[in-house]
Amino acid sequence: MIAKTKRVSDYKQLNKELPTLRYVDPEYVYINLTTNRCEEYRLDVKKGDYVKLGQILGERDGCFFKQPIYATVSGHIEDKVTKIDGTGIEVECITIRNDFQDTYDETITDRPENVIEHLTQKEMVDIVKEKALVGLGGSGFPTYIKLATEEKIDTVVINAIECEPYLSSDYRLIKDQPDEIFNGLKYIMQAVNAKQGIIAVKKTKKELIEVLENEQKRFQDLNIKIAKLGDYYPQGWEIETFKNATGIKVPIGDLPMKHGLLGFNVSTTESIYEAIKHNLPVTKRFVTVNGDGVKFPQSIRTRVGTSVKDLIKLSDGFVEDAGNIEIVIGGPMMGSSVKNDDVIITPTTTSVLVFKSVDYKEEPCVRCGSCVYSCPVDITPVSIMNAVKRNDKEAIKDLSANKCIECGLCAYVCTSKIHVTDYVRKGKSLIG
Amino acid sequence: MKIVEKSAPHLRKPNASVVRMMRDVVIALMPLVIFAIYNHGLDAVVILAAAIGSMVGTEYIYYQIVDYVKRDRTKHEEIKDKIAGFNKQIETAKAAYQEDSNQELYDETVEKLKAEIRKAKDELRAYKQASTKEENKRFHLFNRNFTLYNYSILVSGIIFGLTVPDSTHFMIVIIGGVAATLLVKMIFGGMGQNIFNIAGFARAFIALGFGAAVGVSNHLPVQDDGSAGATVLGSLTSNPFTEPSTFSIWDMFSGIGFPGAIGEASALLILAGALYMFVRKSFDVFVPLVYVGTVFVLSTAVMVQQDIGWWYPMTHIFSGGLLFGAVFMATDPITIPVTRPGRVYFAFGLGVITFVIRLFGQYPEGVVFAILIMNMFVPAIDYAKWSKNKFSLKSSLIFSAVILLTIFAVWVGASNV
Ligand code: SF4
Ligand code: SF4
Repeated sequence: MIAKTKRVSDYKQLNKELPTLRYVDPEYVYINLTTNRCEEYRLDVKKGDYVKLGQILGERDGCFFKQPIYATVSGHIEDKVTKIDGTGIEVECITIRNDFQDTYDETITDRPENVIEHLTQKEMVDIVKEKALVGLGGSGFPTYIKLATEEKIDTVVINAIECEPYLSSDYRLIKDQPDEIFNGLKYIMQAVNAKQGIIAVKKTKKELIEVLENEQKRFQDLNIKIAKLGDYYPQGWEIETFKNATGIKVPIGDLPMKHGLLGFNVSTTESIYEAIKHNLPVTKRFVTVNGDGVKFPQSIRTRVGTSVKDLIKLSDGFVEDAGNIEIVIGGPMMGSSVKNDDVIITPTTTSVLVFKSVDYKEEPCVRCGSCVYSCPVDITPVSIMNAVKRNDKEAIKDLSANKCIECGLCAYVCTSKIHVTDYVRKGKSLIG
Repeated sequence: MKIVEKSAPHLRKPNASVVRMMRDVVIALMPLVIFAIYNHGLDAVVILAAAIGSMVGTEYIYYQIVDYVKRDRTKHEEIKDKIAGFNKQIETAKAAYQEDSNQELYDETVEKLKAEIRKAKDELRAYKQASTKEENKRFHLFNRNFTLYNYSILVSGIIFGLTVPDSTHFMIVIIGGVAATLLVKMIFGGMGQNIFNIAGFARAFIALGFGAAVGVSNHLPVQDDGSAGATVLGSLTSNPFTEPSTFSIWDMFSGIGFPGAIGEASALLILAGALYMFVRKSFDVFVPLVYVGTVFVLSTAVMVQQDIGWWYPMTHIFSGGLLFGAVFMATDPITIPVTRPGRVYFAFGLGVITFVIRLFGQYPEGVVFAILIMNMFVPAIDYAKWSKNKFSLKSSLIFSAVILLTIFAVWVGASNV
């Protein structure tokens, strides 16, 4: 207990290797028109219109970039509705009634290899921007901005760590589509002219390593390495991955590009491949439905825009004696819990976790120091908590609360079951 | 079924709990309790009972009083108050009637009030019939803040009892227990808020308050020179650099037939307890390691300076409750710093103070005083401006320099004793 905790145990004893892998095509998809970054939008279609898969429906307008909105199925446009997205905020959505034909839009055509070979960084950035790609690990950061870097990049690191417990969507992706991932990495390396590519994966995931090593043989001419990293949390935190995969320590707050590093999540890499090779936006993704509050946990490949309600129904619904339930979009350590199940799957949704909610009995802090020992960014959560209680902004600053990455470990390990992370979050917002 | 919103993380470490941690300390202390009773018989039983009873009892009574004062008023009392209020209003109406003789108004008011009173009385009757006994009770056997459920006050009680020498009168023990619980724990706001180690404070309190009465009995192994009951440290104080003749290192290690506080004697059992808590990760092993290590290094420096044998550092380590204090009192998480460097500085400070007290002073309670003195520095060590999670190069350099300087100072000091 009073020691550094590096492992987050999935003590709820859930299926790691989820049983069925289903492909689900919903009858209705809901495409979000707004996001937490873009509140304005323009819609070019109206109710009753027929749209094709991959057709542009309109444009989201963020403050400094615009993002086309794509149809992820073919079918007829219906009403506008309000739903919740993975971050828990309300977004406006347009409903498309699926005709199950998957009629592709005319723009969705393959690029031949010999064309791709001659694409410049600028052209690739334009494709990625046009296809509205964002970081699919959960950050949602526009991918083209990263890809357009002008720094000299030595190494591209593909993050296939998936360090939070219960998640398995990246796992499925690597197992099923290693070829796409390698090709995506190849394109990225071509775009930023990197000499080296690294795919970082947990060393305990033997099956994935095997798949990747097999695939590696087909890309002998490229300098691609597979880094097998330790299985602990938060290994998937970008800075930790960089440190262990390349040995380069990026100080917190610095852009990794400055140190010649560029990191992408595996799903993002795959989406870059799809965009460049097939000119496709993100229309499908793997979603893990897991947790002790759902009857039949499983991995599902589904359309972007599917309603979480449908996915839970497909998993036989909530368990009966559940009491209170938490629905978490994302991992159990960092994901956000949403207020109802009227949530849509966006490109950044990795998982839907349904937990029986437990109310922990909080005791007074015994100053055991577990939170201090476990914090990956080496700050002192308990002192920040006390400073927040005193409302002592000066002390919160001195304790560098702003370094916190909200990994959740401090609350996870707390001997007294105090929600320390919440206090640190509050501290962060207090000092702005 | 309801969907609730909570903030991340959504998991908690299964085996992290205060109850588990404190229970482990109790388990680690058990062999010492048994050994104390085996060695000292009824004396040990009485002292332990007095120590535990006084601390647990004080906390219990304190919280009963707090709960009584702060308790929610029962419905019952509320209605009674209401009736009293109506009666008062009737009195006021009467007084008004005396003055203005307005019969009509008076009758009307009294009629209305009486109706109200009747209603309230009915309510009271209905309530009395409907409510169970439990709801009407003012006294609750258990109260929320009482920390016996997580063993914390029990741990303090046992540790205090074990540090008391065997011939101490139980009344003194009780006074110490009550005073420490009230002054250190309750006044600061209960568990987790105390600055001083509770058991340590109790021990120091009786040492300062009752001095001579807190002693080692005469019926322990008689020593050759007739100075019965002198502890090893006592003899070190009178003849600092002469090997005490009566006890071998093994005696001190096993603790069999060794005078001193009832529970501090057996190094073997203390280390066994430490090992248990280490395996269960229920204490921070760095604190005792650095503490004992510091005493070892400093006493070795004296040994070299004085050109005497290894018995000297060994005696320091195995006597005077150093191991007991290091393992059970200096690791009480509530009263020590929260960071690893902070804990190392803290334990180093403990070692230095303990050694200096022993070298130059008279108190066999050096360990307890050292712990209380360092407790006062905890807020300073944890101060936001310089408290760091990890050692930096600069802090390690400064700290190393401090260590060297301390060794040098002890060296010079020893040559002048
Ligand atoms: S949530 Fe923040 S403060 Fe807590 S352990 Fe993680 S990084 Fe440290
Ligand atoms: S906040 Fe929790 S983990 Fe941190 S010191 Fe206090 S009790 Fe220990």
